[in-house]
Amino acid sequence: MEIPGEEYPKRFPLAVDSEHKATEFRLFSAAPPHMRAFHLSWLSFFTCFVSTFAAPPLLPVIRDDLDLTATDIGNAGIAAVSGAVFARLAMGTCCDLFGPRLASAALVLATAPAVFCTSLAASPASFLALRFLTGFSLATFVSTQFWMSSLFSPNVVGTANGVAGGWGNLGGGATQLIMPLVFDLIVLAGAGKFTAWRAAFFIPGLLQTVSAYGIFFLGQDLPDGDYSQLQKSGEKHKDSFDKILSGAVTNYRGWILALTYGYCFGVELTIDNIIAQYFYDKFDVNLHTAGTIAASFGLANLFSRPGGGMLSDFVARRFGMRGRLWTLWVVQTVGGVLCVLLGKVGSLAASVAVLLVFSVFVQAACGLTFGVVPFVSRRSLGIISGMTGGGGNVGAVLTQVIFFRGSRYTTETGITLMGVMIIACTLVIMLIHFPQWGGMLWPPSDGATEEDYYVSEWTAPEQDKGFHKASLKFSQNSRRERGQSVIASPNTYA
Amino acid sequence: MAINGVIVATILLSCLTATCYGITFSSLQRSLEVEASVKADQVLKAGEAKITVSWKVNATYSAGTESSYKTVKVQLCYAPISQKDRGWRKTVDILKKDKTCQHTIVERPYSASNNTVTYTVKRDVPTATYFIRAYVFNAAGEEVGYGQTTNAGKSTNLFSIEGVTGRHVSLDIAAACFSAFSVISLFGFFFMEKRKAKASN
Repeated sequence: MEIPGEEYPKRFPLAVDSEHKATEFRLFSAAPPHMRAFHLSWLSFFTCFVSTFAAPPLLPVIRDDLDLTATDIGNAGIAAVSGAVFARLAMGTCCDLFGPRLASAALVLATAPAVFCTSLAASPASFLALRFLTGFSLATFVSTQFWMSSLFSPNVVGTANGVAGGWGNLGGGATQLIMPLVFDLIVLAGAGKFTAWRAAFFIPGLLQTVSAYGIFFLGQDLPDGDYSQLQKSGEKHKDSFDKILSGAVTNYRGWILALTYGYCFGVELTIDNIIAQYFYDKFDVNLHTAGTIAASFGLANLFSRPGGGMLSDFVARRFGMRGRLWTLWVVQTVGGVLCVLLGKVGSLAASVAVLLVFSVFVQAACGLTFGVVPFVSRRSLGIISGMTGGGGNVGAVLTQVIFFRGSRYTTETGITLMGVMIIACTLVIMLIHFPQWGGMLWPPSDGATEEDYYVSEWTAPEQDKGFHKASLKFSQNSRRERGQSVIASPNTYA
Repeated sequence: MAINGVIVATILLSCLTATCYGITFSSLQRSLEVEASVKADQVLKAGEAKITVSWKVNATYSAGTESSYKTVKVQLCYAPISQKDRGWRKTVDILKKDKTCQHTIVERPYSASNNTVTYTVKRDVPTATYFIRAYVFNAAGEEVGYGQTTNAGKSTNLFSIEGVTGRHVSLDIAAACFSAFSVISLFGFFFMEKRKAKASN
């Protein structure tokens, strides 16, 4: 909320709070620094998703060129999502230390060579290695969420995170349409099939390079400047890696959210990898139709993940953090029920219908998760975001290895069992409790305040040096997470 | 009389089954003899090598059905070793769903003589082990017979084709250049960032 008497609205195109974070989210504006950073981050994340999932739609050609077996293809698919597990953790750390602008531009540029060199793949082993390295780029998810959480105020942070994350994830669906199109154009221009798929990979590679340049030259870490500037001028102190890391790993809420995110986002990635084949084999649709159905699952991200983020902010207005947690649990559990159903329905029409509703719920749950993450820690926001994001990929690896590898379970049984696992693992959300706001089942602890929670992340010597000032402002601004039963006012702290 | 009835009923039922489920491979007679100029275990290069295939009717099997042959289709088919762990090349008895033979050598109207073709292996034929099979179709477009260069177990007389890789020197150079550009840009960014931070101090 704006503090009266200050000149903030004149400095920024959007309304801001005391940390200069935007309190409004204007989708069709590109005003620096807030909305411009939003567009830069979702676009670059989108290109990373396009690159990581560029191979699946072209597999019918690639598998002949490289003489791949079904096992090779399955392993490459798992490799593509497993690289990001640790990359997301590393990215969280880098964001905390160097800022999201430099961290994400660096990662996008560093993974672009892997995309370009996919055109050189000559064997199943090199194909797997290249998909593994390209998959590291999915860590830009963390920088996206971190950046949005740094620029947008608690009242719109769920929306900002949800739209940025959702429109980035869209790349996974869009690539199923983009890559075959690029391939067809190159074949039309006269190249053979086995050359055309290789040349097609230059498009995602170029998109990545261009977006990295955009981030570096047009983006800004924080409303008041970049990390490097602010650190040199002393406005922002350079934090210590050890403190940030210990703060993150000792916060149990980060671990719980990492687990539950594995059962919304992880499930989404698994479905991206297996669903086209499922429809192709079970219902005898042709490859094109199966690909379109698979694409539509990913394309639902256009509105369903943002919808989850917006829903989180909406319920928080009245019910605060407890509302965010309850809504997350409900939506993700319904997603689990729909997953169980998906494995059970017998007709094509019913399957497609269930799949689409399922996609909305599972992606909304992703958006709802990142309505909670920005509040878990202020000092270690990057690593917490990285842990949660990494947990998502761990979930994808686990579900694919347990249920969708080899012939232990039929695909439909695997889908149903995955649904059961979603329902079971989502129950742990009930264990999340914020002393100042409460949890799903228990109310807030007596006398606990937001300051107690966020300022306690800093030791007394650090507080003496004034390092905790940003956390103080954040505590103030997050008071609205108490819900409407407590009227939030800027003057209620000593 | 009763036996006639049973025979008629069986024929009708099998026709019905055939049309309901599609023609199966196991129902076809091996009525053609197919020969190819390729020797067993030979390795051919896609885009360059030529194969000469010839086929003729096998007198012991055809038994007067030759008049129903309207079209012949000769194809390159995957040997079992190239089908292993590759569901998209699976052999299924129902011919409509069978994916064993995916590359057509020639498809033309059937004639009793001059049944030979010289085929240059196309550039999009992938690296794999193959045999050659020819199907003959009736006027309704249904398979009514086949012949192949290998035995029933598909274990003899197999040959390999080495596919075109699709890699190009120009692609290699482009990939190297763009990758180098990205890495150099990365170092450039770090350098510029350090300079900017020093300047703002």
